Amino acid sequence: MKTAAYELNQLRFGYHNSEIVNIDHYSINDGEILALAGPNGSGKSTLLNLLSFLTTPVSGEIRYFGEAVRQNTQADFRRRVGYLQQHPYLFNTTVIENIELGMKLRGINRQLRHGRAQTMIEQLNLGKLANKRAHELSGGEIQKVALARILVLEPFVLIFDEPFTYLDKSFSGEFEKLLLAIRENRTQTIIFSSHDYLRAQLIADRVCSIHHGKLMDEAHVNLFHGKYSKEQGMFNTGNISIRLSEIDDVEIIAIEPTQIVLSRTELDSSMRNRYRGEIISLHARNDHIEVTVQSGEKFQVIITRAALDELGLTIGLPVWISFKSSAVRVLR
Amino acid sequence: MNYFTQSFADAFQLILALDDELYFVVWTSLKISVLSVAIAAMLCVPSGLLIASSKFPGKAVLQSILNTLMALPTVVVGLLMFGLLGRQGPLGEWGLLYTQTAIVMGQCILIIPIVLNMVISAANTADPRIRSTSIALGASRFQQNMIFISEVRFAMLAAIVASFGRAIGEVGIAMMLGGNIEGYTRTMTTAIALETSKGEFEFALALGILLLLVAFIVNVFLEKFQKLNK
Repeated sequence: MKTAAYELNQLRFGYHNSEIVNIDHYSINDGEILALAGPNGSGKSTLLNLLSFLTTPVSGEIRYFGEAVRQNTQADFRRRVGYLQQHPYLFNTTVIENIELGMKLRGINRQLRHGRAQTMIEQLNLGKLANKRAHELSGGEIQKVALARILVLEPFVLIFDEPFTYLDKSFSGEFEKLLLAIRENRTQTIIFSSHDYLRAQLIADRVCSIHHGKLMDEAHVNLFHGKYSKEQGMFNTGNISIRLSEIDDVEIIAIEPTQIVLSRTELDSSMRNRYRGEIISLHARNDHIEVTVQSGEKFQVIITRAALDELGLTIGLPVWISFKSSAVRVLR
Repeated sequence: MNYFTQSFADAFQLILALDDELYFVVWTSLKISVLSVAIAAMLCVPSGLLIASSKFPGKAVLQSILNTLMALPTVVVGLLMFGLLGRQGPLGEWGLLYTQTAIVMGQCILIIPIVLNMVISAANTADPRIRSTSIALGASRFQQNMIFISEVRFAMLAAIVASFGRAIGEVGIAMMLGGNIEGYTRTMTTAIALETSKGEFEFALALGILLLLVAFIVNVFLEKFQKLNK
């Protein structure tokens, strides 16, 4: 069996009386892409800081590729992780000097680091920017250079804090492709946080979320691959057809579980996607209920406890699900 | 009016004639002030960064004191140092009174609050991501500080230029601790004061013009450096 990239045991972190991270045991596999989902303020950034060894846990243990990380060796482990901040900072030098900086700090000789920086510049298509100064770059370019500065160090683990929220539109598509290319080769472990659950599950092998400091793995939900027919305005998953708003082309869509309406009878409403199905599972989760409905495809719907009682839902009950075309998120 | 314009003409003549006495005074002034600034910078840059990055009781009081000391009158520094270095003072044995070293010491005390204050405020107002980014990139404590200094180099340079301006233009310390000894501790400012009272107005004026020129050149360099790095 391969050694896990990370093993977290009894990991605790918090300030004063509030506990932000409280993980009994969790492991992250070598070569996997793990997304950390959850709303803002749930502790995602704190956990990422712990995983990149920027903060020291109050108690507990982190094992990195089998090695226990201690406070006095933390700085050494920090050099084996590439961490991209939400708003990366470039030093007031040229682009190439920025890219070389991490290698310079590690004492890699000038010739070697220049060669590696050049290769990275070519890979990320940064040739035109190489000799520009950091402050001459646009927001998207800054993020790209900051990424190059990390990738060139070839760390075993890459950690990104909310990449899809803060990345410039001009770069986020390219970034996604890059992640998928890394996933293809399984050369590095990637951990990223995202408050956009649907998007996270598109890229990640595994999505987990933080609730009250604890990590929980999440199942992929309402993510459909298929073909789009422009004439009909329909997206065909192979099992069902979903009506979309006008669009050119799409391969993957997702539907937010809270935007799906559940009813006992077919609703006569403006929602043009309506399917008859059967409840196959009901799960209580915090203050809401997750309902899984099989209707050609499996749909996950999130409803309140009040709605559960009102509708009198049970497993095996035939129901209708409805959602607007505008509730469909086009992912790729 | 004729006297005034004539003095200017004579002053320029002295400058252009590369008058030995005149340039020796300029050289003494430059040497003393550059040395003071260099010593103050070496002491204040590391300690300023340390103060800015650490929390300790009395930090706010220290900063208020530093702010007050920025406006320290030069004669007060001269007076206190005179008391210390004078023959009957506690450091009298060193025999430093009326030497260039004494002026350097006095000027250091004068400008340390300026440099320290400017370094602290540069460190406090710097982008917090400078440090977090260098840590994340794996910089050691020493490397982090070097990166930080390099990032705030303009602010550091501004501190150095401001304190150089204060040092080269002050007269109280140079007069009281240097004693205005010809060919030894006579600086531009003490010479101006002396020559004017002697009635050698054009010589004093020539020094005044050179003093302004030095300040001008330093500022032009600063601006050039900033442009070069942008």
